[in-house]
Amino acid sequence: MIKNYIKTAWRNLWKGRVFNLMNVVGLSVAIACCALIFMTVYYEFSYDSFHQNVKGIHQLYTVTNRTSGTERSTAMPIPLAPALKAEYSHIKYITRSANSGALVKAGAKQLDQNVHFVDADFLKMFTFPLVEGNVNTVFNQLNNVVITQQAAKAMFGNQSPLNKTILITIGQREEPFQVSGVVKDIPRNSSITFDLLLRFEHFPNYKTDLSKWDNWSHMAFVEFKEGYNTQNFAKQLKPFVEAHYKADIDLLKRDGARPDETGSLLSLHLAPFASNHFNTNLNGVEGYPVSKTYVLSLLAIACFILIIACINFINLSVARGFTRAREVGVRKTLGAGKWQLLTQFWTETIMVCLASTILGLALCAVIISPFKAMFKSRINLAMLFQPQHLLAILGIFILITALAGFYPALIMMRYKTVAVLKGNMGDTAKPGKIRNTLLVVQFALSTLLIICTIITWQQINYLSNKPLGFNKTEVLSIPVNKGIDGSKALQLMRNDLRSNSQVEAVSGSYMNLGRGNDGSTRSSIIGFGMNGREIRTNLQRVDFDYVKTLDIKLVDGRDFDLNFPGDSNAVVINESMARSIGGRNIVGRYLFMFPEYQSQIIGIVKDYNFKSLHDKIEPVSMIMRKQFAINYVFVKVKPGNLLHAFDEIKQSWNRQYPNVEFTGSWLNENTERQYQSERRLSNIFVSGAVLAIVISCIGLLAISVMIVIQRTKEIGVRKVLGANVAGIVFLLSRDFLKLVMIAAIIAVPAAWWVMDSWLQSFAYRISIQWWVFVLATLMAMLLAFITISFQSVKAALTNPVKSLRSE
Amino acid sequence: MIKITNLEKFYRTEEVETVALNKLNLEINTGEFVAIMGPSGCGKSTLLNILGLLDDPDGGSYLFNGTEVAHFNERKRADLRKHNIGFVFQSFNLIDELTVFENVELPLIYTGVSTAERKTRVEEVLTKMQIMHRRNHYPQQLSGGQQQRVAIARAVVNKPKLILADEPTGNLDSSNGNEVMELLTDLNEQGTTIIMVTHSEHDARYSHRIVRLLDGHTVMENIMM
Repeated sequence: MIKNYIKTAWRNLWKGRVFNLMNVVGLSVAIACCALIFMTVYYEFSYDSFHQNVKGIHQLYTVTNRTSGTERSTAMPIPLAPALKAEYSHIKYITRSANSGALVKAGAKQLDQNVHFVDADFLKMFTFPLVEGNVNTVFNQLNNVVITQQAAKAMFGNQSPLNKTILITIGQREEPFQVSGVVKDIPRNSSITFDLLLRFEHFPNYKTDLSKWDNWSHMAFVEFKEGYNTQNFAKQLKPFVEAHYKADIDLLKRDGARPDETGSLLSLHLAPFASNHFNTNLNGVEGYPVSKTYVLSLLAIACFILIIACINFINLSVARGFTRAREVGVRKTLGAGKWQLLTQFWTETIMVCLASTILGLALCAVIISPFKAMFKSRINLAMLFQPQHLLAILGIFILITALAGFYPALIMMRYKTVAVLKGNMGDTAKPGKIRNTLLVVQFALSTLLIICTIITWQQINYLSNKPLGFNKTEVLSIPVNKGIDGSKALQLMRNDLRSNSQVEAVSGSYMNLGRGNDGSTRSSIIGFGMNGREIRTNLQRVDFDYVKTLDIKLVDGRDFDLNFPGDSNAVVINESMARSIGGRNIVGRYLFMFPEYQSQIIGIVKDYNFKSLHDKIEPVSMIMRKQFAINYVFVKVKPGNLLHAFDEIKQSWNRQYPNVEFTGSWLNENTERQYQSERRLSNIFVSGAVLAIVISCIGLLAISVMIVIQRTKEIGVRKVLGANVAGIVFLLSRDFLKLVMIAAIIAVPAAWWVMDSWLQSFAYRISIQWWVFVLATLMAMLLAFITISFQSVKAALTNPVKSLRSE
Repeated sequence: MIKITNLEKFYRTEEVETVALNKLNLEINTGEFVAIMGPSGCGKSTLLNILGLLDDPDGGSYLFNGTEVAHFNERKRADLRKHNIGFVFQSFNLIDELTVFENVELPLIYTGVSTAERKTRVEEVLTKMQIMHRRNHYPQQLSGGQQQRVAIARAVVNKPKLILADEPTGNLDSSNGNEVMELLTDLNEQGTTIIMVTHSEHDARYSHRIVRLLDGHTVMENIMM
């Protein structure tokens, strides 16, 4: 029996190969995309899950209720962790953690390495197993260093690194360290990454800030003893916070800050480390968190595509079923039972699904590289063969065969024997509510994705083109690499480029604008008292000519100038800062930002977007205080011939630092880089929309084939009676266009809600315009109309004699 | 073998009710060859469909071998059909995707006959119908007459007690038509009851009795001698 089913199924599939090919192509593309997306989503959700006690680990953060609003910060003062452990018995382990780049010398080798400053509990909390060394003793000596296997190999080749001495330069100081342990290489799905672990005592400024509760500089992680209810943490810690942060709280009170519902102005909270990878709400967490919205959007689109492909499958199978109604009738006459018919048609479904799955997985292998590049996914093909993924694929296969296979088989089984034997489809041929509903669902999803595509594209376009208040196009930003004195580098570049006619100005700063090739972002915020209240400002350490180099508009006063020696203690502020200070005649006034001296305001610049357009412009104060390093050199060149200018600046850098790579980039590249995640989202929507539309149209095409077959006689009669081609094309398209219209009506509010929520994450955003919805609806209708036209025009042009003879 | 009493069948649309069979009475004995004739729309095919348990009557009684089958459910009807009734259609209704052998084999598959026995029985009946040499061909590769012989082979392979033929020569030329009628006559002589719907007086002459229908009821019965 089974053999007979397979044989018949194969011959039937071959006979309807065009239909079936459409089915297989649609389904396999959907399966390939879903497999890749599901793997990506699984990978993102797997972040940090390798830590055995990941659920017990939490990162500390503070919530401060200022007059200007609520502030969350993961930065902790150095004395906090030891005090918390000493005073709070529920804590099992606690570690401070801070990152830095460092130059490492191992014998003749010099390496740029990523250093983590941690406490001894770090390796007990996080699962980074030691392959050499003992977890209880690796940090016994102050000069101990733990390295990864990869770092060990880079430094010592195949020799055992244990007890070997390496020289590490942190800041400007070089010190010897002894390797006391080697940890297994860090899994790719780890938020925490490092090459070297050093004791926290080596953290810069450790000694000076050891007892300062108002200097917030690093992250801290805790693990509680078993059975501790973390819900009570903030409440229980209230006395601790009030005791240690008294000075801060008093300042908040003085400024009139309002306490939150628990009565706190400043409180300590816990962020679960298990969801660290999705923690985009907090600044200053380990790794590069991704937005959960982004991952869930991916998942949603994968599901949309799968649903659309399944709907296609159902509609195509039902359509194909109509051409086989007579066969069903004959089989029923000959005594075929319901289950026998159901099994027969199901066999065909399974064969199509199997072919689609195999083809889909093969397609996966082909498109995985472009997919990885487009979505910054870190998946690989081997992941596909992991048991959990194979199970998921099997699950999808079963789901499709069950959902998409059962309904068409059921429909075919229900044909009325007598009617179908006469070639009369009767009621079964009427466009069923189910089919129409499925078409509406397909086109609603497609229209939704078209709208999302247009709106994300508009927002990205807006982000790219909005004037930021500084010169993006003619200013080159050069990150000063680890181990190089930024001030010296700036001086050398300034001298070297002085005679270059292309160069208009050279300056430097602590923070970059946008995200440079070094990938890092920094920010520094301080608060100080003025006229009995606290003023908070971003600090930007700059050098002479900063305002000039970046083309920031001065609204009052002047830029830092080499000819004014006193400028090293002066400050240039932006308009927001001026508003924050309040009053008139701000230039010339003094600010008490630092304990050692007063800073005179020498200039006010127009507000400029020194952060991404996700954030509103905050007060900023530019200073020349030497304690802050120069991390970036900026060079402004004359307009035109930028490529040549770039080469000359690169050559200049190479003359100063022949062994250090030049990683300069134009500021517009840097600002674009800030919106990578938005671009990724846009890519997802575009690809999703294209796929959804293509697959939906394949389905629509098949259905139009069916409709034309069913209405052949009607078309013939109408033509005999004088209907023209346009009239018949309209007749055949009208019902479908109505359905697409209904789909659009459903999609519009959903799309508006989704995109409005997304736009809320930008301080600067477009407003959604009505024509976007009209455009998307028209696009969907046009695509549907073109698809149907392939068949309807053909039918309308057919000689009516031919169509009537078929009766 | 068959006794129908006051059999009724209506076709309803929203506004019109058409009477297809109007309190029809008919008795057919085992071994008979009956032709049903009448103008288009008189209810011939409806009657045949009800006799073949492909359709339900709306009223009256249908005794098949003494059992009331008028209100059998789908499963029981399929069961009775596959063991007792063979069908021959005007348009042959062979399945295009199956070979001659496979088409004839189909009823045996549905009655659960073993592979070996299927092979023997199909070959036997194909030989009898003189179509064995075409066993591996597909229907579209055969002439009309050959296709109808395959259809008859398929109808008889399960050794049914009753064959229902709906204009079996309607799509054939006269010589092929005569061949088919000879085949049916042979089957009848071997004991199979045959009920045939036809428009052709010529074909009707092969039968023992002609039942003439008009507007859903019997108007005349001719006994052929």
